[in-house]
Amino acid sequence: MQNTLLTSARTSVGKLGTGLALLLVLLMLFGATETYAQSVRAPGNAVNLDDGIEDGPSNALGDDSQSDFWRNFRGGDPNDIKQMLEARPEGAVLTTTGQHWRELRENYIRKYAGWFPLGVIALLLLYHLIKGKMRIKGGFSGKTLPRFNINQRVSHWFMASVFTILGVTGLIILLGRPLIAPYLGKEVNSVLTSASMQGHNLFGPLFIVALVWMFIKFVRGNFFQWVDLKWIFKLGGFFGGHVSSSQFNFGEKSWFWLVILVGIVMSGTGILLLFPWLVDDLRWLQLSTILHAGGAILLISVLFGHIYVGTAGMEGSIDSMLKGEVDENWAKEHHDLWYEEVTGKSATEEEGTS
Amino acid sequence: MTFLQFVEGPLFYVAAAIFVVGVVYRLIGILRLGGERDLARPNGSATGGAILTVLRHFVPRRTFWRGSSFHFVAGYAFHLGLFVLLLLAAPHVAFLQERVLGFGWPVLPHWAFILTAEVAFAGLIMLWVRRFVDPVQKLISTSGDYAATILTFLVMLTGCLALQESHVALRATHMVFVDIWLIYFPFSRLIHTFTFFFSRAQTGATYGRRGAKL
Amino acid sequence: MTVQKAIDKFVEKTGAKVASYLDACVRCGLCAQACQYHEATGDPRHAPVMKFQPLQQAYQASKDPLSPLWRMIGRAPKKVTEEELSDWQDLIYDSCSMCGRCTLACPMGIDIASLVWVMREGMSEVGLVPPEITKMAHAARDTGSPIGVTAKKLRKILDDVEKKYDVKMHLDKPHAEVLLLDSSLDYEAYQPTLAAMAKILDRLGIDWSFSSKGYEASNLGLFSGEESIARTMVERITEAAEDMGAKTVLAPECGHGYGSIRWEAPNLLGRELPFEVLHIVEFLARMHKEGRLKLKPESRALTYHDPCKLGRRGGVFEEPREMMRDLVTDYREMKPGGVTNWCCGGGGGVVVIESARKLQLESFKIKMDQVEKTGAEGVVMSCAFCHMTFDKSSEHFKWDKKIEDMVQMVERQMID
Repeated sequence: MQNTLLTSARTSVGKLGTGLALLLVLLMLFGATETYAQSVRAPGNAVNLDDGIEDGPSNALGDDSQSDFWRNFRGGDPNDIKQMLEARPEGAVLTTTGQHWRELRENYIRKYAGWFPLGVIALLLLYHLIKGKMRIKGGFSGKTLPRFNINQRVSHWFMASVFTILGVTGLIILLGRPLIAPYLGKEVNSVLTSASMQGHNLFGPLFIVALVWMFIKFVRGNFFQWVDLKWIFKLGGFFGGHVSSSQFNFGEKSWFWLVILVGIVMSGTGILLLFPWLVDDLRWLQLSTILHAGGAILLISVLFGHIYVGTAGMEGSIDSMLKGEVDENWAKEHHDLWYEEVTGKSATEEEGTS
Repeated sequence: MTFLQFVEGPLFYVAAAIFVVGVVYRLIGILRLGGERDLARPNGSATGGAILTVLRHFVPRRTFWRGSSFHFVAGYAFHLGLFVLLLLAAPHVAFLQERVLGFGWPVLPHWAFILTAEVAFAGLIMLWVRRFVDPVQKLISTSGDYAATILTFLVMLTGCLALQESHVALRATHMVFVDIWLIYFPFSRLIHTFTFFFSRAQTGATYGRRGAKL
Repeated sequence: MTVQKAIDKFVEKTGAKVASYLDACVRCGLCAQACQYHEATGDPRHAPVMKFQPLQQAYQASKDPLSPLWRMIGRAPKKVTEEELSDWQDLIYDSCSMCGRCTLACPMGIDIASLVWVMREGMSEVGLVPPEITKMAHAARDTGSPIGVTAKKLRKILDDVEKKYDVKMHLDKPHAEVLLLDSSLDYEAYQPTLAAMAKILDRLGIDWSFSSKGYEASNLGLFSGEESIARTMVERITEAAEDMGAKTVLAPECGHGYGSIRWEAPNLLGRELPFEVLHIVEFLARMHKEGRLKLKPESRALTYHDPCKLGRRGGVFEEPREMMRDLVTDYREMKPGGVTNWCCGGGGGVVVIESARKLQLESFKIKMDQVEKTGAEGVVMSCAFCHMTFDKSSEHFKWDKKIEDMVQMVERQMID
């Protein structure tokens, strides 16, 4: 082979990446070994309650009755963010919608969100154990067709990188309290959540860039066609039978539009959460967190299916996104209409027989 | 001594020393390999050619603009972003002022820092991704190329994860990667930070002497 | 083991310049777009950066300032094997004309062609030079010319040309001021060019002569990588010029022949040369500027092809253009032209290598396209090797563009 000089070097890349990632995690967990107080530095504008403040007045309520006090406490518009943010006297301190939102987030989203991706993984495992890898009929032909150009591939992997960072940090923010704090301790959770929040906020805007880029690069060929109906009826060929499709099949198209549409929701809600002063009503933000979490869980769950079909599930798929070229036999089998369109040959006839 | 004090104290000084000594050793080592004087009658200025080539190769020639635009945009986004972050981020200036230099300079406001970091990250990720999807780059890249990219990425990432500046562990993590990066630098492709100058100048001098403006 | 000889050569030839290049490469792959062989095939192997991998490995193993460290921790790169080296043969010879275009695309400005030269030096140590080139290089060493034009044969050729073209061919004229060289390609195949040069010089009243001691401008040692042959070839010319007492040596329309005697010779011989070396076109442009050479422009649309060794690697860009603007009424520039001009794809010995034929033809399509786009009726050049590549390729593609030698045009159009 021509590249013998380079192959040995390339194999160690995976090990190296894994090693450094492991180091990163270990170092973060290191926060747990120090005491909580030591590991946290107060922000610059913090007030230390221990010094300077003597006992308050003995009669805090003055002449107000208890019910007046609570009325004032809840007074004003409970959903006006500006009143709250600026701590105006007429602003509300307690909101009932906030309580409902909190219950939804704590008792439903945080409790069940993790099960969706796990469930998808379990289903995929089950499918893989029963059906195994989808092989190319007749094996690799050795002849290839160009499928994705370099810009499409780069935009895909750019999105994949940004998505992975956002996914991991987002899951830590959402599920850190029920999943990390009880087992590794609140200190670890605090460190990881702080880090995740900074990372999530930083990479969020890059997701919008990636989304726009990917939309431009992939929208051609991703509009639904009549042939997609057949794909649905045949369950995508995952349970036997041959399905016809052009450049993208129904599954791929659905994934594309899911990413784009849910991605738009994620971007919109994300912007609101980054810049909360953009809206007046607190309920927009509450809705945003719920939509943001729900959309994330949806995307992450389906992503596992996407990864499965792209790698372990189907022989020859990964080439399209790495090399940009696919084997002709792969194209004939999975994208026969596209094959015929590109090559001008029939996907069913054997070559040389005509 | 706490772990943080160790990684931003002794370990940092050791790493910085290895960085400086290593880079100087390697650059002098390269120059010491020497070469023969060009004996042909000159037809132009070697010095002029060297300066011209060093400057001109900062921007692709027009013919190669199309083919180089990706690397040009991503490359400059990353490199400029990295330099700005390195030199103008508030914690960096504070650190240098406290420990090394004794004086500081104006820093970026927080929003500008975030924006710069985003540009730099976008550039770095694009460059990294391109390595394994471009047939040529995939063929020629070695573990050293990936290592340099991954390590630089982790230095930047841990730095940004510590932005809240409230957890000792996060600051320490960033410092550990900075130390590793400094130690790794002189032994790796990262040396191109300096050798790019040698390389361009050599070519510029050789052909500038012949009267060709490369 | 024989491969060690190649490695030793790599190491010996690695000085500060080569080391800077090897340590500056960041594997961005931008050089690929500049190479006609990569663009013609799309094969990533043909990216110029691939060509110096064995050299880099040898450097890291023993000459890199860091190599003691790598050895100490057991991470020294493994030795280049014989098999790997022979795998690299086609990258070093068949698919590199050492035109230096990749240097312009390289953000680091790495002169990959000079690294290929070091690779060729190593390859020639272990007999990995393509047989066609070896044969010609050795013939040049033994007979004085790559195709066997001995001094005796030269006399006969010059006599024939004298008769056929009615021109006086001076040979071994004592104390001539100008020593004229030519390449075997002209001696054998392009005799009109040879005659044209002689006619122009005589009409300009130049005191010139050939020398039977050193008449061959081409230098196949610079193709094969055999430095000793390269040195022998320039030694002959230098001695001839010094014996004659020539003030000027004129290199003919031969790109690498010009580079050989103009830029390589003093360094191969290790001393400065007591005479001036000019390419024939440089010389004519000088005469033209001084007003001694007057031209009558023809009303034709022509473009000019910059030979790589003359332009990018020799710095001769303006002179041929000055001539062109007075030779034709409608001079057209190729795009990209000048320093970024596409190589004809035949230089560096490629056009004579049988196994490179297909690749060379494929790469020539880029050149044809470039010429077509100017809309010119033909293309002028000042390099016999380019000319041969153009001739061979246009014959294959049945291409109808006129291929002209600048010297012949000057001879036809000069006014006394």
